[in-house]
Amino acid sequence: MRCGSRRFVRSAPSKIDRQRLVDLRVTDMTAGDALWWDARLGPKHAPIAARADRFWSWSVLLPLCHVVQRAKRRYCRPLVIWARTDNGRFLRVGMSILIEDYPYLDVAHPGDSHFIWFMSAADAGVLTSEFGLSQPPALGRVLLDNGIVLSQNAGFEGRVGLHAAAAGGDALLEVYARCGLLRLPPQAELPPPLRRPNDGRYFYADEAVAEALAAALDARR
Amino acid sequence: MSEFMRLDAKAPATLGAVVEAVTRLSTLSEAKILELVSAGKIEELFPYKPASGQPIPADTVAEDELAEASARPLSRKQRDALIESSLPAAANKKSRAFSKG
Repeated sequence: MRCGSRRFVRSAPSKIDRQRLVDLRVTDMTAGDALWWDARLGPKHAPIAARADRFWSWSVLLPLCHVVQRAKRRYCRPLVIWARTDNGRFLRVGMSILIEDYPYLDVAHPGDSHFIWFMSAADAGVLTSEFGLSQPPALGRVLLDNGIVLSQNAGFEGRVGLHAAAAGGDALLEVYARCGLLRLPPQAELPPPLRRPNDGRYFYADEAVAEALAAALDARR
Repeated sequence: MSEFMRLDAKAPATLGAVVEAVTRLSTLSEAKILELVSAGKIEELFPYKPASGQPIPADTVAEDELAEASARPLSRKQRDALIESSLPAAANKKSRAFSKG
């Protein structure tokens, strides 16, 4: 039994040397963060065809997501993940925009959840070659964990959902499956507010999966 | 609400045009918006960007300069501040007007 609320994760294994942990911090996203990402990482990511986020402009997405969700009477929670560089200072390495209080994808168990709408991890090679981060962190589980922790602390028992962008192809589906998320069967109905056919690219965490994923990272909070 | 600029011109967008675009987008599912953004087609429905002029922040910051985010639900006041901070500083200080596009 867990007591109290969980914090965000504060370290992650290096992608270069899995035995090494890289210090992380999480902040709320501001216009300056979005501007920095677009200016400094955007041009490096754009030529990488495999990246689902190669056309994303966070400077547009950040205010747009807020206003679109306010029009639906929901709130967004945009976050930035920072990693400690070789010189001891912190660099932006991950970005995400979550939607709070979103319909839970598993219609067999109606309820509320958080929806992880947009998430990006900076390219490890770019971080190493351009930004002095010789040990870029593995962020997939951390990006998901942020949503799970917010969902747990909001009383939604960790339930989260997401849609894997088609631009990410089969590789992105494999990433989310490897992270431990459940894949919504292609024949499953979606909650009525979503007004969209199920294309088989939805993933979610139920209460048990969320708790298992979060507990696995508790030592690093 | 930010002061948005049209992507295809230097001129600011009208309030009405931005509201209309946001209203149209809000009828779409989140997955559909994600697909449009990922395909580089969001401009077809929202041909605007926030007014610029803000300097690009430094690449790195010291740890004590970071205000760590709370993992707890935010208060109404904190949420409002978060939305306000999503806008460029110059637009924050101005009145919430949209100009002609």
